[in-house]
Amino acid sequence: MAIIERPTPTAAITLRAPVTPAQSMGIVRRPVTSTGWKSWVFTVDHKKIGIMYGVFAMFFFIVGGVEALLIRLQLATPDGKVLSADLYNQMFTMHATTMIFLFAMPMAAAFANYFLPLQLGARDVAFPRLNALGLWLLVAGGLILNASWFLGGAADGGWFMYSPNSGPVFSPSNGVDFWTLGVQIAGFGSLIGSINLIVTILNMRAPGMTLMKMPVFCWMILVVQFLLVFSLPVITVALVLLTFQRSFGATFFDVAQGADPLLWQHLFWIFGHPEVYVLILPAFGIITEVLPTFSRKPLFGYPFVVFSGASIGLVGFGVWSHHMFATGLGPISVAAFSIATMAIAIPTGVKIFNWTLTMWGGKIWYSTAMKFSIGLIVLFTIGGLSGVTHAVAPSDTQQTDTYYIVAHFHYVLFGGMVFGLFSGFYYWWPKVFGKMLNEKLGGWNFWLMVIGMNMTFGPMHILGLQGQPRRMYVWTEARAGEGLFNFGFWNKIASLGSLILTIGILFFLINIVYTARKGKIAPLDPWDARTLEWITTSPPKEHNFDRIPVVHHLDDFFHRKYQEDATTGELVQIATGEQLVRAEEANADAHIHLPSPSYWPIAIAVGVGTLGFGVVYGVPIMIVGVLMILGSSFGFVLEPSVAQDIDYDPPASGGQDTKELAPLG
Amino acid sequence: MSHEGTLPVSKQNMTIFGGVKSQGRLNRKKTAVMAFGVLFMAGCARDAPQDTWQPKGENASNINTLQWIVFPLAGVVGVAVFALIGFVLWRYRDKGQAIPHQSHGNPAVEITLTIIPALILSVVGVFTFRGIFQLAQTNDTQMVINVTGQQWWWEYDYPAQVVNGVEISQPIITAGQLVIPTDTKVLLRETSRDVIHSYWIPALNGKKDAVPGRINLLRLQAYKPGIYAGQCTEFCGLSHANMRMEAVALEPADFATWVANQQRNAQQPAQASLAQEGEGVFLNQCIRCHQVNGLKKADGTAAIAAPDENVYSGAAPNLTHLMSRNTFAGAAFDLVTSDCRKNIWTASPEQFGAAYLEGVSPKCLNQTNLRRWLRNAPEMKPMYADPTKLASSDGKYRGMPNLNLSESDIDKLVAYLSTLK
Repeated sequence: MAIIERPTPTAAITLRAPVTPAQSMGIVRRPVTSTGWKSWVFTVDHKKIGIMYGVFAMFFFIVGGVEALLIRLQLATPDGKVLSADLYNQMFTMHATTMIFLFAMPMAAAFANYFLPLQLGARDVAFPRLNALGLWLLVAGGLILNASWFLGGAADGGWFMYSPNSGPVFSPSNGVDFWTLGVQIAGFGSLIGSINLIVTILNMRAPGMTLMKMPVFCWMILVVQFLLVFSLPVITVALVLLTFQRSFGATFFDVAQGADPLLWQHLFWIFGHPEVYVLILPAFGIITEVLPTFSRKPLFGYPFVVFSGASIGLVGFGVWSHHMFATGLGPISVAAFSIATMAIAIPTGVKIFNWTLTMWGGKIWYSTAMKFSIGLIVLFTIGGLSGVTHAVAPSDTQQTDTYYIVAHFHYVLFGGMVFGLFSGFYYWWPKVFGKMLNEKLGGWNFWLMVIGMNMTFGPMHILGLQGQPRRMYVWTEARAGEGLFNFGFWNKIASLGSLILTIGILFFLINIVYTARKGKIAPLDPWDARTLEWITTSPPKEHNFDRIPVVHHLDDFFHRKYQEDATTGELVQIATGEQLVRAEEANADAHIHLPSPSYWPIAIAVGVGTLGFGVVYGVPIMIVGVLMILGSSFGFVLEPSVAQDIDYDPPASGGQDTKELAPLG
Repeated sequence: MSHEGTLPVSKQNMTIFGGVKSQGRLNRKKTAVMAFGVLFMAGCARDAPQDTWQPKGENASNINTLQWIVFPLAGVVGVAVFALIGFVLWRYRDKGQAIPHQSHGNPAVEITLTIIPALILSVVGVFTFRGIFQLAQTNDTQMVINVTGQQWWWEYDYPAQVVNGVEISQPIITAGQLVIPTDTKVLLRETSRDVIHSYWIPALNGKKDAVPGRINLLRLQAYKPGIYAGQCTEFCGLSHANMRMEAVALEPADFATWVANQQRNAQQPAQASLAQEGEGVFLNQCIRCHQVNGLKKADGTAAIAAPDENVYSGAAPNLTHLMSRNTFAGAAFDLVTSDCRKNIWTASPEQFGAAYLEGVSPKCLNQTNLRRWLRNAPEMKPMYADPTKLASSDGKYRGMPNLNLSESDIDKLVAYLSTLK
């Protein structure tokens, strides 16, 4: 069933001979470095960009985690004294902002960048330089967001940044300015990245890979990119309005001027709710690769999983007001959004059933990657069920803005998203770095995270239903209740749990270091996997595939290894993964053309960052930023299409083998 | 797996089994989940004042009915799904069996498994739909109170009206504690003077936001006399955590007494008393923002507060009957000692009215809290009160500044404030 066929086969790839001048604007050549820091900073290679996204996201996972620990430390006792009210408000604002914009989205981008081309059988993404630009804009946004800590305090209005509390009167420090600018710039990067990935998926699939033969991970990434394309402009509009109100005296959200503060809430949640699916669907994609691999069975009901993902994305645009049930929308709106919210539970349920039935009848291998995937199914189900309890709008008016909601979305986002990402780390680490993460340390990592996560967020259900509101820098004995199992008890358990969770995550960091120094070199096909990323070396060569694979089946790699015996119907192995990779090497394409590195993506990002600081610190800096953006944009447009002939020729045809990415450490 | 213990269902408690008429026909369902609920009884605090599962009024009871439908349902579905997952994980572990047949699914199973949750949700949906419109009803209310949020306290303004035969002839303006008659449907008309706040008394109803420029309606009703705790639940800036409120329900007769008292002007303190000196301090300092009805300046003219000149929200609590409320500063601090507080909070419904109407007697006055507040309010409750940092609000405070009062002025003020019954 070909929905969109890939346009042309391999012939086009041998295109060469630059047609643009050798120097950009007559001054700058394209960089050619393939080693050292320049090979990273100026790279357009989707794999290096993916790794940088991952490193960036991991760093901010730790930053956001430290913020979370401070919050839990403050709330462990009544009237906590660890943080002041002001600092606490900054802390929970930045914890959410960091985890969403600087950890979760970049980490999903890391997986998408690295594995989309590999799963699609492509040599890179459609627009490699835009890919680099997306990364560097995100870095600029992340720096601006966190620079605020050192420049008069971070944003303190919550990640939802409700108007009018976020306006110039009520949030006078520069924190909110840095926040709006940082999120705008990072969002700009995501938008560029999403267009790039959509084009890549629609146009660069290997010959024979129809959309319905595409791995589900790619499908989920495709849905996510469409969500981003349609939702990011909405938040960008809201942020631009807020920036103009704060920095240039506009009155978009000024009630005294006749504005309606609910405008912000609608704009924010029209972005904010699809954003939830932006965060969770990549994790769904990852475990939909992991579960079949370790159950040794294809995905149960592939079209149902694909279309339920797509319908989650679609319906996800129609439920934003369930974040606003207490704002006085009126019963008709509340009823409509209540029902829509229940409806979205149906495709989500479909996914849970399909994952479970994928394992049904399988031969389950409990690797660490598999454990994390099963963890996602269970923990996400809890989060999903508590979600249904507040789809019931009247019940939600008791629960909204209490710890019950905090419990709900941490089960969805930590139990769901983070467990999915960790599953991906363990599954694909050997592919990216050529070494196996240690399974024993992985076991500690997994079980401590499960225990810690449930101890931290489980009691929050009870706290919320006992009436503890969110976003309060202290809780008081006066509202804590009598008896042993009151606020005090459950808050202590949650804080203790957060320490166990931290230790669990430390085991992952230890595992990375251990693996880099002493880890086992990964076999080419360590998991007996099913998809195309395993039909090349680990780590993959710069050009990904020696020969562009031609696809005949869903899970083509598996079908190349196993065939059904014509008489008995039993699966018989006809080749190992290793043999298949070696066969590809022996039949490598000649003249494999790859995009050259470029100075301009990072140069544009530096300009955008400067412009951002200019909005806070004055017009002269803005002018410098604008000039930098203009200059580097011209450089970007006018630079030669290739640096020099660095086409790859396989050793068989007398060429030099390009350098493979060195394994970490 | 170890996760079942964290199911939302863990919050069931049994106080619901008594007293609420509208729930009779759900009793069988309740009995069914009771055994399950007992397992999780350990999870409940006794008497958490903001518990969302202990309705004390009609609206909250209606919500609670829905909770009793959706929570057990979610629990049952959860247990079924986890049982299935657990079975699969155990049954199909790698025991050295051959690689399984590469089957791609079964549309009949798929469709069935899509329809079942859809059916369950439609049932929930029908009840939800009914509940939403039931709770939105405001045309049967017997009393109106205007509720205004501002950083970080609530003001209650009772327009002139007749409630159950009790006439409120002059509007009443009070703060912190909302006083209502029992078994009366009260309509709150909510708005805000600055940022968005949210009004929430869990025992009486769910939340409704107070949005500047809008008026949102919320219906409250309390079955029995008592004091019901609440808290602002929309993040409203620096001292959001310290913006609390309490609803006080009084028997109609007690409510009439309360109304009569609230309509009186403040009495002048006795000549040459410490309190009279305190009145002077008040006229010097506090009157800039805080109104005391009936207070006269030295020249005999009425003293009128002008909070709009000093505070960004343009309002400060009216203190005419400060000692009739037992909390202050956004219900964040007790105006009564902890012993007296306990007496009021634990009073039986029959005795509650008398205990509350006694107000803050000299014996009960929490001198520590009140003096600490007068000494340096923003140190006790974070507020925007640093005069050098008020450029964004045209030099106006958000909250109460440190008045740098001398200890003797504080003595006098405490003496004066104690007379504001």
